[in-house]
Amino acid sequence: MGASRIDTTCTLIHNLDAPLGFLTAYVPEELFHAAGFTPLFIFHTPDDHGHARAHLPGFTCWIAGSALDQAMAGELKGLAGIALAQTCDTMQGLTDLWRRNVPDIPLFHFGMPLRLDGPAARAYLLAELQSLRRRVQALIGRTIPDDALWESIALYNHTRALVRRIYAYAAHLAPSELYKLVRLAFQMPKETYNREMEDWVQTTQHRMQEAIPPPAPRLLLIGPAMADPVLFDVLDQAGARVVGDVLDLGERYFAVNVAADDTGSAPLETMADRLLALLPTPTKHHPQHARPAHLLSLVQGRHAAGVIFARQKFCEPHGFDYAHMAHTLNQNNIPHLMVELEQSSQAGQLRTRVEAFVEMISQRSSVRT
Amino acid sequence: MPKYPRLQSLKEINAVMTRYYVQRKALARLKPLAYVTSGAPVEIMEAMGILTLYPENYGALCGARGSAVGLCQVAEASGYPSDLCSYARSHVGAVLQPQQAPLKGMPRPDLLVCCSNICGTVLKWYETLATLYQVPLFILDVPFQRTTPAEPHVVAYVADQLHEFVEWLETHTRRRLKPDKLHSALALSHEAVALWQDILSFGQRRPSPINAPDLFVAMAPVVALRGTRQAVDCYQRLRAELEERVAQSVGAVPGERHRLLWDNIAIWYRLYRFFRPFMDAGACFVADTYTNAWTVEMDVEEPFDSLARAYTGVFINVDLPTRLHTIVRLARSFQVDGMVMHANRSCKPFSIAQSDVRGALRDELGLPTLILEADMCDARLYNEGVVRERVSAFLEML
Repeated sequence: MGASRIDTTCTLIHNLDAPLGFLTAYVPEELFHAAGFTPLFIFHTPDDHGHARAHLPGFTCWIAGSALDQAMAGELKGLAGIALAQTCDTMQGLTDLWRRNVPDIPLFHFGMPLRLDGPAARAYLLAELQSLRRRVQALIGRTIPDDALWESIALYNHTRALVRRIYAYAAHLAPSELYKLVRLAFQMPKETYNREMEDWVQTTQHRMQEAIPPPAPRLLLIGPAMADPVLFDVLDQAGARVVGDVLDLGERYFAVNVAADDTGSAPLETMADRLLALLPTPTKHHPQHARPAHLLSLVQGRHAAGVIFARQKFCEPHGFDYAHMAHTLNQNNIPHLMVELEQSSQAGQLRTRVEAFVEMISQRSSVRT
Repeated sequence: MPKYPRLQSLKEINAVMTRYYVQRKALARLKPLAYVTSGAPVEIMEAMGILTLYPENYGALCGARGSAVGLCQVAEASGYPSDLCSYARSHVGAVLQPQQAPLKGMPRPDLLVCCSNICGTVLKWYETLATLYQVPLFILDVPFQRTTPAEPHVVAYVADQLHEFVEWLETHTRRRLKPDKLHSALALSHEAVALWQDILSFGQRRPSPINAPDLFVAMAPVVALRGTRQAVDCYQRLRAELEERVAQSVGAVPGERHRLLWDNIAIWYRLYRFFRPFMDAGACFVADTYTNAWTVEMDVEEPFDSLARAYTGVFINVDLPTRLHTIVRLARSFQVDGMVMHANRSCKPFSIAQSDVRGALRDELGLPTLILEADMCDARLYNEGVVRERVSAFLEML
């Protein structure tokens, strides 16, 4: 898979059958797939056509800003629709602005509960999935049969299993390579992705089974999405390895499969259960799934020497999350660094800070050994 | 410099609110105390004899007293990024360093009640408080009302959680919710909200006997004392004073020449100072979207469904067409000549669609709008020179 495969959404749309864009880490992709669409995540880009800036205040995160900008610049022409789940205030605002300013791309709002525990949340989530199914059916003019949903679920479960395999080799891969592969899971038809990844896993397994990962500072990454190529280049050049992450669109997204159709549950029920079982992003709450505890166990389990927070400027949920997570890391004497990403990263400044951090944790590791 | 008539009732409201904090501090030793968000169904807690305090109201107090920047810096030194909500940063700073905070901070809570109908930030803020205080947290998830009226499954979800909320309160406080007490709290809440609506409608008079900065002071009881006799008493007195002003044709801004609409939370650290140039130019803010957020009515006969509907349909939790409808209605019924929007760095739900609202007002009503970027509490984000220039240009244009 060459670097050219990481393409802008604009280019990808023209090569896909019935592409449908989505935003946020809680959209039930399988439902759209079963309706005949190819779900495609709309990653933010450094390009700025000025459209979003005319509609959004300057203190809005660029993840939302870029999506609106791409749409209003006509770069998303060809999308059959866009789906986004209820996550943060900015995405809620984007729902309104999209409907008003991008009328030719219908928007599907999905009411993902904020609380992920308790019977009321599950009942509401199920009702939202049923509502979404009805709205998608109205768009395509036919029903989405349960069989089609089960087929899509099986396909997506296979993708999730493959991505987990990729992460198992993370210590062997340069960060840019790791995230190129993960990112493609959001940008390719799953049928093609699964085929190509099966080949990749087979080859890699063969090559790496006995290999010892190269000695390199082992890091974890926290943030919303893996969209900033500059950060990965800098990590590559600093010689670091990302051995795990708590990215909204990273490991957690692929961690839980939807239960198969032999459980006696309806497909939407099993899809709801997966969404509730995922490690919450900072926009959600589950009293039994605390993110700091998860991070700590990940640091220990992956033998990570440090953590990098890649926070999008003006993102409130990740801003608070940083304070909580950093507190836990401080209590456990685990080094961490916060880099704030804006529309386009300042490569020079980012490089200096990341290199200094990687050097610092390398020295700590060597002192300990 | 011209002098402006002061409403005596506002002094009383300020005194009531100071007593409210002092009394809560004293009573917190005897009764359970809950911190609640401004959009939480406080009537249930009032009916159970649970004391409530509002960190958002306290954040506004920090802003008004000029303590917010120092407290924000305390929170920032503890890891909270400086672009987070300044109410939250001020309050977290006050929890960490109460000796620097107004009233030496708020009394320690026994419970935390977070209702998500005003923003997503409150979830993170209350999670922080739960960690700092190690006390139980209830999250009332109120989904965004993407269509109006709210879909039945959304109302059912909120109503289910309200029942769960009562059980949770009963478990943690060993108090029972008695139907007659709830009925009485809802009736008082209903009465206070109706009085508040009456008070807001006085802005339709010419000249208007009340200006937006007065409303920002006057709103405290409808936020913090809903469901109590005190709120009703405060508003009966204020209404009587406004009636008197109308009878004597006394305007809040003598020689009222322009009538304006305000959007967003107040700039607490410049409350009257910010509005002074407008008043000097004869401009009165006769209506606003902020204080209108507390005008939802309830049906006391069907408390849970009614509470669920009311708290889901608050102004900043509804879709843009519904919000626009409200704004256009205000602009028409209060006969405004223009609008000033505070692009508030700390409040995304209020601020995010302001450019589109400006466009809609221009297209539908031909009204000019000024958007000013500032922050409700963090005075470091207020550029006095830029604000002065833009306000002056806007007033000239009017």
